[in-house]
Amino acid sequence: MNETLSIDEIDRKIIGHLRRNGRSTNQQIAESLDLTAATVSGRIRRMEQSDKLNVVAVSDFAAHGMDVLIQIAVEVDGRASSDVAEELAALPEVFAVFLVTGRHNIDVLLALREYGELPELMIDKLSKVRGVRTMRPSIVLDVIKYQFESGPQVSGGGA
Amino acid sequence: MNKAPLDDLDRQLIDMLAQDARVSNRKIAADLGVNEGTVRGRIKRLQQDGLLAFTAITSLDLDRDIRIAFIGIQADIENIRDVARQIAAMPIARAVMIVAGQFNIMVTCLFTDLGKFHHFAADRILAMPGVHHIETSIAVSAVKYNSRIVRITEKAALDGEDAD
Repeated sequence: MNETLSIDEIDRKIIGHLRRNGRSTNQQIAESLDLTAATVSGRIRRMEQSDKLNVVAVSDFAAHGMDVLIQIAVEVDGRASSDVAEELAALPEVFAVFLVTGRHNIDVLLALREYGELPELMIDKLSKVRGVRTMRPSIVLDVIKYQFESGPQVSGGGA
Repeated sequence: MNKAPLDDLDRQLIDMLAQDARVSNRKIAADLGVNEGTVRGRIKRLQQDGLLAFTAITSLDLDRDIRIAFIGIQADIENIRDVARQIAAMPIARAVMIVAGQFNIMVTCLFTDLGKFHHFAADRILAMPGVHHIETSIAVSAVKYNSRIVRITEKAALDGEDAD
């Protein structure tokens, strides 16, 4: 299934359906588009196998007991940023680590069960990582938008 | 967030669906030793509670040249929700969070064209009433990230659809 696959209008309609509900059955999609379930199933499989389509399940931080999100801008001194980033990434409370350009060098997102975890984490773990010069934390108060399903599929990340 | 606590079955369901979002209820039920109705009901409840969502990613979204950047915004606190919502309405902004710290709003952007990102940050956001200062940082690499755990901000419009 390595031949170039073009996506036609019917494929687009199927994708539209799956975007709205990734668990629509082939039968449901078929009925609404006036196709057979076998056609729908075949087209989905073809698009998936050629990496044109990937239906995914995403779960909320809360489903994993992570109710507190804190973003930290980390400034590095006297050590390679990438080494500091690797060491930060090894901590389980650290959800995401990005090396960035700008005023700070590393952008960290913590996902915690409760605020009570923060003092020990910041004072005894993050601050002890060699090369961390300053940390400027921002407590996430409200998430207005969070659309990362289609974000970059980074290496070293989770799924 | 009046979400019912998750039990082991919920967690097993989430794990199975994370591996294959279109696995049938029948297969989940057989693997977990429960009946199909239970599976259907659990998935529906998790979706209604905003704990689980399904979506389709196409190759258009999987552009290898896509870049991430962050914008920290200092804005007047009185209208902070309005400002955040206006920014969230713009497609380049993929995450918009109201925060307490040196900034009031943090925005994460995905883009392929640096010029468009700069226009968004320096022209559009900076020109918004109530916005006083922005700082941008461009991600050079993601050392750790899990795109399957998110904050679900829009609950699924459930119309009784289930995979069979």
